[in-house]
Parts: sequence; C-alpha cells; structure tokens
Amino acid sequence: MLRRLTMTVAALILGAALPAHAELRILATTADWGALAIELGGDKVNVYTATSALQDVHKVDAKPSLVARARTADLVVANGADLEIGWLPVLLQESGNAKVRPGTPGYFEAAAAVKLTDVPTAVDRSMGDIHPYGNPHIQLDPRNVAEVARALSARLAAIDPPDAAYYQQRGADFQSRWQQAMARWDAAAAPLKGIPVVVIHQDQSYLCRWIGLNRLAAIEPKPGVPPSAGYLAQLTTQLSADKPKMILRNAYNDPKAAEWLSQKIGVPVVTLPFSVGGTPEAKDLFSLFDDTLRRLSEAVK
Amino acid sequence: MSDFMANLSILWPALLAGVLVSLSHVPLGQQVLKRGIVFIDLAIAQVAALGVIIAQTIGLELHGWMTQVAAVVAALLGAMLLTWTERRRPEVQEALIGVLFVLASTAQILLLANDPHGGEELKDLLAGQILWVSSDQLLRAAVLTAIFLAVWFRWRTRMGHVGFYVVFAVMVTMSVQLVGVYLVFTTLIVPALATYRHAAGRQLVLGYALAAVSYLAGLAASVITDLPSSAVIVWAMAVLAIVLHLTARPADRR
Repeated sequence: MLRRLTMTVAALILGAALPAHAELRILATTADWGALAIELGGDKVNVYTATSALQDVHKVDAKPSLVARARTADLVVANGADLEIGWLPVLLQESGNAKVRPGTPGYFEAAAAVKLTDVPTAVDRSMGDIHPYGNPHIQLDPRNVAEVARALSARLAAIDPPDAAYYQQRGADFQSRWQQAMARWDAAAAPLKGIPVVVIHQDQSYLCRWIGLNRLAAIEPKPGVPPSAGYLAQLTTQLSADKPKMILRNAYNDPKAAEWLSQKIGVPVVTLPFSVGGTPEAKDLFSLFDDTLRRLSEAVK
Repeated sequence: MSDFMANLSILWPALLAGVLVSLSHVPLGQQVLKRGIVFIDLAIAQVAALGVIIAQTIGLELHGWMTQVAAVVAALLGAMLLTWTERRRPEVQEALIGVLFVLASTAQILLLANDPHGGEELKDLLAGQILWVSSDQLLRAAVLTAIFLAVWFRWRTRMGHVGFYVVFAVMVTMSVQLVGVYLVFTTLIVPALATYRHAAGRQLVLGYALAAVSYLAGLAASVITDLPSSAVIVWAMAVLAIVLHLTARPADRR
C-alpha cells in the first residue's frame, strides 16, 4: 500500500517535471530579477521565481517546488543586501547544492552590482528593522536595473560558456532597448520632480531619489515597527499644514495605514506596482516603469 | 538530478520531522485534551520566543545553542507559572493560558518597539517550517524524543503536575522550531480528538497511526499540488481524523 502510493506519487511528479532539454536552471528570488533573467537568458534558461510581487520577500512559505529548485539550480539570482536573509541562507544550506553556494559563480547578487543608498554609518538598534548593508530595494531605479543586467549577462556567459555569444547578443539588445526606454521615462518623470509625497517606509527610496520626489515623511519611520500613537498624531498635524500631493503605497503593503492617513488629511493614495506583477499592467521590467510613471503622473494631474 | 528526484529527497527529512514530533505530541496531546488546556502549546511557544527577545534586548549576543537555552529557560519559567496557577486557580486554568499567550505575544511587540533591530528575524527564529528542516535539528529532535519516550512511559504516573509542564515546555519549544506552530497544535490536539471515543487501550496506537499517515499523505499531496506543506498536512490530518473518529463504536468505550 505504502509502496504503491509512493510509486503513484513518483509517476505523477515525473510526468510533470521532465525538462524538455538542457536549459540553465535559474532560481530567482524576486519577480523583478526573474523577469530580468528571462530577458537576458531567453530560451536558454528555465527560470523559477520564489516570490510573487504581492508577497513580502522577507518571508517565504516553503513549497516543495522551491526546495526542489534549490537542489537542482545551476544559478541563483538573488537580490542580496540581506533582503532574503530570513530564508535563502537556510534554503541554500539545506539544499546541499554546491553549484549555488554563496561565493561561487552559481550565486549572483543583484545588489553587488549597484551602489546602495541609506547605508547606516553605525548599526544602531534604535533605528528599526534596518538593513546594515544599505537599502536593498534597488529595482525601482532604472539605472540600477541596467547595471544589474550588465553583471547578470556576464555571469550567464561565464557559467554557460557554449552559449556565451548568445547571452552577449541578448544583453546588448536589452541594453539598447533599456536606454531608449529610459529616455522616455526621464521625460515622463521630469514634471514629477519636487512633488511632495508621503511614503510607507524606505522601500520607495530609490524611486523617490531617481525621480526627485520630495519625501515629506514616512508613515512607518522604523521599518518593521508599527508607529506609535504619538508619532501618528504629530504626523497628521505636520501634514495637514504642509500637504503632500499623494501617499505612495506599494501593491504588497497593507492598505490600512495609507488609507487611514488619506482620510485624516484628505490626500489620495497612489498604489504603485513596486515589482513586476504588482499591478496587472506591470507585466515585465519595461511595463513596470511605464505603469509606475503613468500612475504617478495621473495623480499629479 | 531532476526535479523529480529532488522532490523525493525533500519528503524524507520532512516526514522524519513529522514522525519525531508525533512520537511525543500524540501522548502529550491526550493529556492536554483530558485536562482541557488545548491552547497551552501556543502560549508556551510565545513565551519561548519572548525569552529569546528578552535575552537579545538585555544585550546577550545569541548564537545557535545560546538561543536554544534562552528559549528553553523561558518556556520552563512559563511552565512553572502555569503549574502554580493550576494549583491556585484550577477552575480558570484555560483562561489564564489564553491570557499568558496574549501577554507573551504583546510583550514581544513592546520590547521590539524600543529595540527592534532584526526584530522580524527574531520573531521568525522560533517559527519553523517543515520543509526547511536541517539534519542538525533532526538529530537534536531525535535525542530529545528518545529521552521523552523513556521518561514518559516509565514515570508518567509519578510525574505529577510539575513534571508534565516541564516535559511539555521542552518538547514544544523543540517542535515549534522544527515544524511550526500550526503543525504542533494539530499534531497535539487532532489525534487526541479523533481517538477519545475509541477503547482506551487503543487510543495511543490509533493516534500514532493517524499522525504518521497524515504526514505522509499531506507531504505527498503537497508535492503533487505544490501547495505549502504545513497547511496541506494540517488539512490531511483533520480529514483523516474525522474518518477515524466515526469508526469508534460507543461499546468500545471503557
């Protein structure tokens, strides 16, 4: 009985999991880096994405397919800077997969390719649930995406030498399309410069800095710690006098805090995709920025 | 190695973790149900997590085994408190357990509000996931479970209230980190619920069988459907428990 059950299970899994041909097996931790891996790897790669845009990437529910992919991956594309500290180190260690151990070519960190902002000068425990290496939410500045793409193209070529020319060609193609798109985005972002906004917390930093949005305040100043009653009272007083244009919320944030403040001070909430898949329109990296800028521009009108 | 082989190799550590947890929790759960204190595991788990956060707050650098010590010490203190309340106010013991749960959980929020660095990670430190089980954890669990079984089946009648709460605190602190709080609660309570109308002599064996089959079926279903394993196992055990419960004949009862 037990054996027959195991055999049935085995047959079912086998039917579903047989790879069509020898592709490079990639485990990406976020939807954005998964999307980038597909852009750069084309049909030479098979990408599994561990989290969707609407999940908090700090936490992950253990699904069998995730553990299975960690064991068989040729390349892990992580965000890094401690974003996945809650689960990726455990997963990689328990997978026993030597190919993707941190420090080896099979382990790629996007954050290593860019300069991080908000790096604390001293790790002070009073600052909240901060990231000692700096702010890890780098994907919302298109200049960062270009840097990460350059590094990832080189890495793909390095671990899969027979297809190196293919990756180089795809990488160059991506860069030229990205540069054109960036010209378009810079034009769309120009009128947004200096617009006063309120954010939930620092995961919109790169976006605000790239566009030049004027961050008046954060609803949750210490990441991961609910704001106190005193802080919220002071915030509403301050913002009633000095009104922002909008309250920015990421699709994965709980809407309660933003909506509460919106009712208090009579300022609209703008929901941004934050990540590929965060809104129905943000289907890939290009539409992620198109949609983000469209939503911001509409709110300013 | 294909995904298929990887899938099979995932099942075995998780199944082993489930069986180890079941070995201690099925008999413990029958006691818990008899005493009417079913939420004690949730309270103890929160107290253990609070212990880790307090240790961190007062400046102890916690690594590996020090974390375990802090968690177990806190859980034991919580167990002592519950022994005391059971003696002094037995009529409201379950309510007091509920209050302890809420106090321990909110104390963590208050402590982390002032000293929150790494708070998220600390909170998750004691919340295990059955697929993440490491071989170190399995080894530790196996040793603890062997000790538990020896103590339980030799001295249970002479253990008294203090002994029960101490054993319970240690085992739950271990199991929550191994399989997470949902599975701990389920493994504790559901087999006991499924078997309490069966003949007294068969309850333990039936409870063990239910737990083992549920972990196996739940993990298999989780691999096939690719849904989070803990939740699938919880549902598998609940459904199988209903079937098992219905097979009890009133004549079987003592």
